[in-house]
Amino acid sequence: MALDQQELELAKLIVSALNLDVAAAEIEPDAPLYGEGLGLDSIDILELSLAISKTYGVQIKSDSADNTKIFSSLRSLNQHIQQHSAS
Amino acid sequence: MMRVFVEGIGLLGPGLENWSAGREILAGRADYLPQPTQMRVCDMLPAAERRRAGVPIKLALAVGLEALQQAGRETGTAATVFTSSGGDNDNVHAINTILATAPREVSPTRFHNSVHNAAAGYWCIAAGSREPSTSLCAHDASFAAGLLESAVQVAVDRAVVALIAYDHPYPQPLHAVRPITAAFGLALLLTPERSETSLAMLELDWQPGPVTETMMQEPALEALRLGVPVARGLPVLAALAGSAATQVDLAYLTDSHLRVRVSPC
Repeated sequence: MALDQQELELAKLIVSALNLDVAAAEIEPDAPLYGEGLGLDSIDILELSLAISKTYGVQIKSDSADNTKIFSSLRSLNQHIQQHSAS
Repeated sequence: MMRVFVEGIGLLGPGLENWSAGREILAGRADYLPQPTQMRVCDMLPAAERRRAGVPIKLALAVGLEALQQAGRETGTAATVFTSSGGDNDNVHAINTILATAPREVSPTRFHNSVHNAAAGYWCIAAGSREPSTSLCAHDASFAAGLLESAVQVAVDRAVVALIAYDHPYPQPLHAVRPITAAFGLALLLTPERSETSLAMLELDWQPGPVTETMMQEPALEALRLGVPVARGLPVLAALAGSAATQVDLAYLTDSHLRVRVSPC
């Protein structure tokens, strides 16, 4: 499934911030980010949260109960960012 | 006096591709042609650690792996002593830059890599090692400190110890106040007993008082010895590259030194 423009920008940020050896456009929008799928771990999620804060001005707190859902896929992460950066 | 045996050697530095090539240069059988250190691919790290580890860490792992492989030993079977004057200097620079710039939010990966024993942590993951590990720094005496600590562990604990010494230049502006001229690493796999694969015997004495350090005869190698803290170990490698018993004097901390007698097996 192809990424839309916002998702592609976020995918590029993920690849850049985490030094991933994968092309941004090849990240599956609905595949898990954590564990299986893209294979990220807890340090990656912290790193990504910092990059999102700096780039989009959206703070994702480490103790948020919604984190599992927010980071469940590129698509859900992008939706969270778009909802909160617009408000 | 402590006696240990060298079973494996790792080397990577400017114009020193590995121990096999470096041995010829250090023995005077090949010319030394200084050029930027060519990093080797570090394929011993899992993917997540490989993309987080900086160049200084990969330098340490590369020479450690070379020494273990030369000795024909599994990477996870040796205790390790890491020694470096500055550790991951790129990371120090990056954190300083972040802290000097609002909003001073330090990258978790940078923080994760900021400890001096980061190389040891990556090594233990990559090697699958649960053996003891020590990480040291002692400014320009960092190699001598690492060698002394390794020899003590071999002699007292009868342990097989990989000494892994590495240093990497700081970016500016730190380079101006602590110039390290090149990326350089060396490793020695040390054992308590002579074996069929032993390359040399080292007899070490810590002695009080200052010493005239053993120098490198080749001017460019002497510049490297003085330009990189752990390259103070080059005369030991030169002795290991030769065929005759040789005495090497290494300056240690204030008013003391390490005398090393190198006897090829």
